[in-house]
Formats: sequence, C-alpha cells, structure tokens
Amino acid sequence: MTLPPFALVRPTTLDEALRELTEDSVPYCGGTELLLAMRAGLHRPDALVDLKRIPELTGVRAGDGMLVIGAAERHADLATHPLILERLPVFARMEKHIGNARVRNQGSIGGNLCFAEPKSDVATLLMALEASVTLVSPGGRRTVTVEELIVGPYYAEKEPDEILVDVRIPLRDGLRGAYVKFQTMERPTVGVAVLADDAAGWYRLGVGAVGEVPLAWSFGSLAEIDPDDIASRVDPTPDLAGSEEYKRHVTAVYVRRALAKLEQVSS
Amino acid sequence: MTESVSESVATSGPPRVPVTVGVNGVSVSRQVEPRSVLVDFLREDLGLTGTKVSCELQVCGVCTVLVDGRPVSACTFLTADADGADVTTVEGLSDGQTLHPLQESFVDHFALQCGFCTPGFLMMSKALLDGDEVPDREAIVEHLEGNICRCTGYEPIVEAVEHVAEKLRGGPHG
Repeated sequence: MTLPPFALVRPTTLDEALRELTEDSVPYCGGTELLLAMRAGLHRPDALVDLKRIPELTGVRAGDGMLVIGAAERHADLATHPLILERLPVFARMEKHIGNARVRNQGSIGGNLCFAEPKSDVATLLMALEASVTLVSPGGRRTVTVEELIVGPYYAEKEPDEILVDVRIPLRDGLRGAYVKFQTMERPTVGVAVLADDAAGWYRLGVGAVGEVPLAWSFGSLAEIDPDDIASRVDPTPDLAGSEEYKRHVTAVYVRRALAKLEQVSS
Repeated sequence: MTESVSESVATSGPPRVPVTVGVNGVSVSRQVEPRSVLVDFLREDLGLTGTKVSCELQVCGVCTVLVDGRPVSACTFLTADADGADVTTVEGLSDGQTLHPLQESFVDHFALQCGFCTPGFLMMSKALLDGDEVPDREAIVEHLEGNICRCTGYEPIVEAVEHVAEKLRGGPHG
C-alpha cells in the first residue's frame, strides 16, 4: 500500500533539524515504527525530518561513569559495538535479539524509545539500568529518565519541538545482568531484566511487554526478589499474547529464569 | 555500467528526491517521490519483480533485499535512504547462467513449495553466510526466524542453508 505523500527534509546539523520540526514535520530515522503508523493511517505528517545525517545523534562513547549512545544508532550496530560488548554486555545481548534481523538493521534506539512501544525490549532493560535520555529543543536541553519519558503505551513525554539526542546509561564496575524474554510472535509476551552490582548492594529488576509500560524496581538483595510478588505487581494488558492471568503466570516464570540466568553470567 | 533516465517531473506533491542506487551492480539514477519505498522502486520503476511484497509490516520477510550487504525490509525502506548504497536483490544472485550456491541448495533440498517466500529466504540467508562467522544450525534458525513460509517448509529451508554453510566451513573460508 502506498504511503501518504510527505516531503523529506535531510538536515546535517542539530540546529537545522530543530528549526524544521513542527507538529506536522516530525523526526524520522529508521522508519520501523513511523512508516508503519503512516501506512496504517495513524499519522499523516506533512514532512519527515531525517535525523540520520546529524553527527550528534551517532556514535557510542564512555565517560564520566556513563555509556552514551547516539539516538540514531541502529540495533544491529549496538549489538556488536566493541565498547558496549566490553562495558555493558547485557545491553549488547539484548540488542542482538530485538525484533528480527531486518528491524535491527533499520530501527534506531532513539526511535524505539520515542515510540514507546509497550513491548520494547530496549525500554525494559534501560529502565532497569536507570538510564536517561537527552532531549534538545530550540529552548535548551534537558535530561529525563527513561522511566519519566515512557509514560504510556505509544506515548513518550516529549514535546513536538524536541529531539532525543542520546541515551545515557550509568556504568557500574562488576555489573552482572540478564535479560530474558518469552516470544512466540514478532513481539515478546514478557521481557525480564535483572541486574546486580554486588559491591554496591544495588539490585534492579525490570519487567516489560506484559502491560502498558515497563516497570522496574530496586532491591537490597537478590533474595528479596519474589517472582510471585512481582507477578502481582505488574498490570498485564490482555491481548493476543495472552490473558491477564496467563501473563502474570509467565511473568513469575520469567523472573525465576532471569534470576537463574544471572547466576550463569559474569558480566 | 551507468544508466540515467530523466523522468517527467511530477506536477504536484512534495519535491522529488534525486537518488543514485547501485542495483545488482548497475548504477541507476532517478528522481523519486519521498514516499517511494524500495520494493516499489525495484518492482515498478525497475521491473525487478523477483522481490515480493506481502505483510508490509516488516514481519514476513518476503521483501528482504540487501542494502550495503545488510538485510532490510524493502516494503518499509524509503528509496531516498538507498541513495548512494548498493542494493542486491534475488536477481543479483545468479549471473543468468550459474545459480548461486544457495539457489542450488534450495533446489537440491526441495526448500520451496509455492516459492513466494523464497527470494526473501535467499537474501536473508545470503546476508548470514556473507558474515564473518560460518553459522551453525542454531544461528541459521535464529537468523531466519523473522521470515515466514506459508507452506511451512521450514525444515528443508534450514537444511539447504546449513548445507551451504557446511561447504563454506570445509572450503577455503572454513
């Protein structure tokens, strides 16, 4: 089916891109969400502002205890990025299994977050990692946590004149992490992230895909994580992937599996 | 080889975008509508109908082509984004005389029934086998999990790809 007509704007600087954005001229990167929404008639922007040529939105670097990932970086590149493999391998392992190989070659990390797809693997793990994002508008820049950004299904708390420039993940020496998911269709039924920084006594659990937004909690020890308790804390959305009762059940199962997997990984 | 065709400019609508794309080794220059997606460009503008279209949701994989060696869903890939890139379609696998080893293997293993999904499976498999590591069966299954065969002939498809991988492992690249 043909897409509705739109103009294509391809700025090469962030300032230029910011000047182009309006309610009807929207950011465009990989298109894995936006073009589908446009084809379905859910969006009909006058113009797409392609962000792929803006240097500030590319690259991966580490500094000041943070891993900083440019918003336009594609999942396939993040899955194999040497710095991510070295400093945050759990993130690379999660990226390696998003969607399918084509989606990973087209979709960007920033686009994934901006669309706030309720079944996003990325958002679940980033929330557990206490990651934040940088949003830039003509008025300035602000940093918000992924938890603050993703407020509802397909709803990110971002103004139309803002561009998500990068994702910032705090780095922890000796961090161990596991991300497991149950998936029979193109999107997961449940995704569970568990992270442990034993030296700091910092433990996090994130559960996504079952409900409208991912949820994450802190714990004082791994022993405090009770899979049945977690299953009662989530708010599942009944859909083709299963009923509320079923989703609570698989949540408990996958919390157990995530904890078991964590015992097998050293990073 | 270079081919350049100046097309009549659209009378209305957003400005067209100039693109130069290497398609199976042939450089093609066109003015396309911003909304042109790669699969329509290949099939309708260039007449390369080997690439099929089905779900238009990036789920089924029949429209898979390689852009600079990487598999993408041509149904959801703007032609404008292929500007300056090399695109390989199923037509680019064979020189017209000799089948590509994957095509040979698909024939030998009866890895197709109706054949509609075959171009997508071939291109996905080519991307995998062109990678740095020769994949094992598990890697093949995982890589192809985003492609749907409505005739459900998955076993022979995986066997066909595995066969080529084994030959690569045993050969000079192994």
